[in-house]
Amino acid sequence: MIFGYQTRSGLTFTLTLLLCGGFFMHPAVAEKSLRIPLRSDDPKSMDPVRGSTVYDNRPASMVYETLVQYKYLVRPAELEPLMIQSMPKVTDNGKTYHFKLKPGILFHDDPCFPGGKGREVNSSDVIYSWKRMADKSNLPKSWWLFEDTIEGFDEYRVEQNKAVDAGGKFDYEKPVPGLKILNDREFVVRLKKPVYRFMWVLAMFQTSIVPREGVDHYGAKFGRHPLGTGPFVMKEEDWRSGQSMTFYKNPNYREELFPTEHMPEDKKWGFDKAAGARLPMVDKVEMPFYVQDQPMWLQFMAGNLDYTQVPAENWPKAFFKRSQRLRREFKSKGITAQAIPLLDFIFYGFNMSDPLVGGTSDKNKYLRQAINLGIDWEERNDAFYNGLNIIYDGMVPPGLDGYPKDGKATVNYRGPNLEKARALLAKAGYPGGKGLPRIDYYTSTGRNNQEQTEMFVQHMAKIGIDINPHLVDFSTLIEYVTNRKAPIFAFAWGSDYPDAENNLALFYSPNQSPGSNHFNYVNSDYDTMYEKMTTMSPSPERTALIEKMRDRVVEDSPYIGSMARSRYYLIHPWLKNFKPTEIFYNWVKYMDIAESKR
Amino acid sequence: MWAYIFRKLIYNIPIYLGIILLMMAALRVNDPIWAYLGKYANQERYDAFAHQTGLDQPFVVQYASFLKDVFQLNFSTESWDKPGVEVGAILKRAIVPSLALTVPALVITSVISICIGLLASFYRGSKIDQGLVILAVLGMSISFLVYIIIGQYFGAYWLNQKMETELFAIAGYEPGLLNWPRYCLLPVLISVIVAMGYDTRFYRAVMVEECTRDYITTAQAKGASRKKIMFVHMLKNAMIPIITRIMITLPFLITGSILLEWYFNIPGMGRTLLTAINAKDCPIIQVFTAMFAALLICTNILTDILYAVVDPRVRLS
Repeated sequence: MIFGYQTRSGLTFTLTLLLCGGFFMHPAVAEKSLRIPLRSDDPKSMDPVRGSTVYDNRPASMVYETLVQYKYLVRPAELEPLMIQSMPKVTDNGKTYHFKLKPGILFHDDPCFPGGKGREVNSSDVIYSWKRMADKSNLPKSWWLFEDTIEGFDEYRVEQNKAVDAGGKFDYEKPVPGLKILNDREFVVRLKKPVYRFMWVLAMFQTSIVPREGVDHYGAKFGRHPLGTGPFVMKEEDWRSGQSMTFYKNPNYREELFPTEHMPEDKKWGFDKAAGARLPMVDKVEMPFYVQDQPMWLQFMAGNLDYTQVPAENWPKAFFKRSQRLRREFKSKGITAQAIPLLDFIFYGFNMSDPLVGGTSDKNKYLRQAINLGIDWEERNDAFYNGLNIIYDGMVPPGLDGYPKDGKATVNYRGPNLEKARALLAKAGYPGGKGLPRIDYYTSTGRNNQEQTEMFVQHMAKIGIDINPHLVDFSTLIEYVTNRKAPIFAFAWGSDYPDAENNLALFYSPNQSPGSNHFNYVNSDYDTMYEKMTTMSPSPERTALIEKMRDRVVEDSPYIGSMARSRYYLIHPWLKNFKPTEIFYNWVKYMDIAESKR
Repeated sequence: MWAYIFRKLIYNIPIYLGIILLMMAALRVNDPIWAYLGKYANQERYDAFAHQTGLDQPFVVQYASFLKDVFQLNFSTESWDKPGVEVGAILKRAIVPSLALTVPALVITSVISICIGLLASFYRGSKIDQGLVILAVLGMSISFLVYIIIGQYFGAYWLNQKMETELFAIAGYEPGLLNWPRYCLLPVLISVIVAMGYDTRFYRAVMVEECTRDYITTAQAKGASRKKIMFVHMLKNAMIPIITRIMITLPFLITGSILLEWYFNIPGMGRTLLTAINAKDCPIIQVFTAMFAALLICTNILTDILYAVVDPRVRLS
């Protein structure tokens, strides 16, 4: 059809009007978009019960929520309500917790719900989500969080999994004595005994709340189709495997506000200015994945990422080694730096089941102490970590109760003290290392482990100990350690929550390999103290008990340690409210962008 | 020809079955479940996982089941490392980004290297030849990783800063022809530079050999032009080694380039395989190996056929 001039003019006019109308009716609101890196090839699963690593935790914490969360700006870490109205009412000498959910918490809109509209969260969702941890067909990685904690929960788990093995189904409807629903928004949890860590566990992403409809609807694909109540939503197609994830602001997110409580030093960074602002603060979050550090670093330098962790090889480019201050070329671009100490426990472990280095005999204990005294931690720190790590005695990392003042405990075998090491070696029956067989040492390949191993071998050679190093891939290392085949091994532990109990559990005898007590350390006194400590709330008595436990372990020396890393972040001037932490990861909702400064 | 292909395929079946058998046995020398579960391993998780994945079945049953899947082209097994995602879907998604790198790199490298090889051989012993050989040796002597790191820094980051526009992406991948120059051209160029050293030396050697043949002297005596001798007579007669060289590379087009994909964040096959190996993701490793073995067998047969096409003296029998 051919239009006449007038018709065409009319059409043009109408189109112009529509376009202009559209323009004026919807004033252009700049979309606030955040670009933050994830140092991983790909998260494994977004199903909370299947996740375990930092790389699962970070994206999952944007979509899912837990009952409680860490206070964003407060240090040391403290908990506050997230999905519950207030912190639970604790009675019965710390054994009963009464929870009340906030009203109006909605699951994300999704086709699995009637009409595609996300429904309100209720008490059953909480109980269902936790029960999923007990269902072994979900291959949960973190059942230990609830193990031996809630009344009847362990028994329920055994019974239901037995039923599944016998060809039946896991009955999520069957009540657990310690989990009682009072109404849609209230429920009570009864613990077997007071367990101090219980509230920390409820802030961990593995205990996030999921809707049953979503799990049933998506089945095995639920891990690829996250569906929670969090401040951001992510569609399946926005997870581009091996590349990136894109999150969008949850339009139905309830009113949650930027915290008013902060540390005095936060004013310097302007963290107080956003107080009371509605969360989340950005519309979109892009999270590209990086396996190699160079592209991540270059993307940050090019302004394509809003912040970056500073890779070890780039650290000297960004900071002066002596003063640890940011270099001028970075400052001139308005880039700022923040360093945060990690809850790290880097150590060499002894297998206490090993006939040569293990056991409780004085002879073997002296040998272990001698090895401890032979290690030069400062040299290792300088050579491989730019001297940035914190060296300390014991297994309790900096910042937690039980960490010795300035990292130095009264009882310690920290090296290098070669004279004392040689004396202890002689006391053990191996003067100058004579008569001592070659000791096998296992560590994983990767990064600079070859060089670190060479340093370890050299340190030991100085006191006459011959080390036979084995560099194996991580899974082989795990296999050797789990099967008690590695006399000495290199490992590290990052605390799951900010309480010394998490690290002290590494020496509790019921946790022996294949559990987390890879040292296979057995000491009944220690076990008794540990059991008592887990039921205590923070107090000077608890701290004293932790110190006593720490010193007991140090004296027995089932490990050589310790060291904790610090993580350095560089931040572009347009990124606001970023107070990095590695204890929790739901902080993206607090971050803001000054797009004009990009 | 069809009879030959059919016969070759039949001959290769036992070889293929042997490859699969060896690969599956090798993957089970160290218990793959303990390796996969890593620090979360305990007997209960082990049993549950073994049951879910069918690894509690006898080896023969696992072997037969996998072969059935391969011959039915059914790759719906769930990845261990990416629960809820089928192996077939993972590999399908990774093939295109890999091909976007490897195919242009192969074509460009082959064309340029053959031309340089021809030129060097024709001027053998001259300054041009010596210069080209030195460049080729230099190219071969430097690690691929060095090219990648320097190429990424100068080609993407530095150049973009200087030009104040993003000519090449530092890292990332977007599908589509229009996005190809931005995301793939730089890695392709790096790949070409690295491969050219090896290829040029190879093709030069082939062409030098051809230069000494009688037919070249005859052609020169008959007054054929230099261009015609090089690009018609020599090239045609050197087709057998050229085809061999290119055909050997073909299965590797699918496997992608691990380092390039790793550094440029390109979600291709090489990166997928390496991730699967690191994560002990058995289903992906198995399917990948089966696919690669099949491709290798097919390209061997195709190579034989192409020999017969380009050289009438070769008979398929």
